[in-house]
Amino acid sequence: MNALYDSIRSYLQALAASGTLPQPFEYEFVINALLCALVIGPLLGVLGSMVMIKRMAFFSQSVGNAAMTGVAIGVLIGESYTSPYLSMFGFCMLFALTLKYTQHRTTLSNDTLIGVFLSISLAVGASLLLFVSAKINTHVMESVLFGSILAVDHTDMNVLLGVTAVCAVLGLPLYNGMLLASLNPSLAHARGVRVRTVEYVFVILVTLVTVACLKIIGAVLVEALLLIPAAAARNVNRSLPGLVALAVLIATFSCVVGILVPMQFHIPVPTGGAIVIVAALVFVFTTVIRATASRFKGASV
Amino acid sequence: MRGPAVVFDNVSLQLGGTSVLDRVSFRIESGALHCLVGPNGGGKTSVVRALLGQMPHSGSIRFEGDVAKPVGYVPQLLDFDRNVPMTVNDVMALLGQRRPAFLGSARAARAAHAEALERTGVAGLGGKPFGSLSGGQRQRVLLAQAISPMPRLLILDEPTAGIDEPGIRLVETLVAELHGRGVTILWINHDLEQVRRIAQSVTGINRSVLFDGPPDQVACQLETGR
Repeated sequence: MNALYDSIRSYLQALAASGTLPQPFEYEFVINALLCALVIGPLLGVLGSMVMIKRMAFFSQSVGNAAMTGVAIGVLIGESYTSPYLSMFGFCMLFALTLKYTQHRTTLSNDTLIGVFLSISLAVGASLLLFVSAKINTHVMESVLFGSILAVDHTDMNVLLGVTAVCAVLGLPLYNGMLLASLNPSLAHARGVRVRTVEYVFVILVTLVTVACLKIIGAVLVEALLLIPAAAARNVNRSLPGLVALAVLIATFSCVVGILVPMQFHIPVPTGGAIVIVAALVFVFTTVIRATASRFKGASV
Repeated sequence: MRGPAVVFDNVSLQLGGTSVLDRVSFRIESGALHCLVGPNGGGKTSVVRALLGQMPHSGSIRFEGDVAKPVGYVPQLLDFDRNVPMTVNDVMALLGQRRPAFLGSARAARAAHAEALERTGVAGLGGKPFGSLSGGQRQRVLLAQAISPMPRLLILDEPTAGIDEPGIRLVETLVAELHGRGVTILWINHDLEQVRRIAQSVTGINRSVLFDGPPDQVACQLETGR
C-alpha cells in the first residue's frame, strides 16, 4: 500500500508544483490527511445516518470519549504514544460491548446507562492522564482529543482502510437487518434477523470507525462528524437513499474543506475542530432551508 | 402448498418475576385461520413474540408439516417509529430485499413491492414519507410488506385496529384469499363479531388458555366469562 500512497502523493505534489492544485498539496501530510478524508467521509456518512435513525448518538459519543482513556492506558503500558491502537481498540471495544451487554440486562433507560458508563470512563481517563501527562508532551494529548493532520502516517491510513473493508464486508450485508432490529424487533425476528447479533455487530462497527478516525478528527469530535452530516441531510431529505447520499457528500465535503481551508489561509485550528465547524455550517444552512422552503413547511416528517 | 401446523406445548414465560404465560398449550392446524382473543395484558402479544423467537420461554413451540418460512408479520401500529426518514418504498425495500435499502431496489424487487402495495390499496403512496401517512394507510403498508414475498405463516397483531370500514373489508378479503391458498394464519383480534365471521378456530388466553375450539362456541364462552 505504501507504494500506492507514494505514487498518489508524487502525482499530486507535481500538480501543486506546476500550480494546477493549491499550494497545500505540496505537503505530504496534507495529502495523507485528504486521502483519509476521502475514506472517512463515505464511512461516517453511511454509518452516521444509521446512528441517527437508531437513536444512538449518545452511545457513539461515549465510545469516542472512552478512546481518550484508551490512549492513557496505551501510554502507561508502553505503547507508542502517537499510535496506541491496541489500547484504543481494546479499551473502546471492552467499553462498548460491556455497555451493550448491560443494556440487555437492566431496566434502566439507554441514556441513563450510557451516562453512567461515560462518567466511569471519563473518571478513569482523567485519573490516568495525571500519570501520563508527566511522560508525554501535552500537545500529543491535544492531537488525540481534537485531531491533527500532522500526525497522520501510513499506519493510520492502513488502519483506516482495514476498518473500511471490515465495515463493507460486515455492515453492508447486515445493513437492513441492523436498521430493522431497532425499528421493530418483532418484525426483524419474523424476517429471520438475529436481532441480538446484529446489535452487537453494529456496536463493534461504530467502535472500529470511531477509533480509526481519531487521528484526523480527534476523540472528542469524532462523534460530531458521525452525527452532524446525517442530521444536516435529514433536514432536507425524507427518503433513505437521499439521506445517506447527502450525508456522505456532507461528511466528505466537511473533511476536505476542514483540512484544506486552515492550511490555505494559515488559520491555526485543530483539524477536527475545523472539520466539525464546516459540518456545523452545512447543518445551519440545511436547517434554514428546512425552515423556509415551502415543500417542508408544516411537514412533521 | 399449505402452511405449517403450529403447536404450543406447555409454553411458560416470565418477565421480571411476573408470570406472563403459564403452561399455554394449543394447536393451530396447517392452513387454518386461527384467532387469538383475550383481555388486554393477557399475554396475546407475548405468545406471538415467543413464536417469533423473540422471547426466551420454557416449553416448546414447534412447526409440523411444511416449512414455516417465509413468515409474514403485521405488528401493532403503535410499535413502529413514525419519525424514521423513510418513504413507503424504503420500508418495503428494508423488509423485502438483501441489498442495503439505501442503495434502492432492483427492478424485480420494485415490481414485487408495487404489486403488494397495490393489493393492499396503497399503490400510489410509494414515494410518500412513511411517517406522514394516516394510521390506516400505514397499517395497509405493514400488511403489504407481510405478503411480499408470499408467506407460509402469517401473523397479524390487531391489523384492523384504528382503520376504517373499507380498510377492514380489504384486510378480511386479503386474509381470506391467503387462507384459500393454504397459508396458516394467526390473528390477534379483539372484535368478537369479526372472529365469529372469519375464524376457523379460536384460542382465548389470559396468561393461561381459557378455551380453545371453534369460534361459535368459544366466543360465547369469552363473553359469558367477562
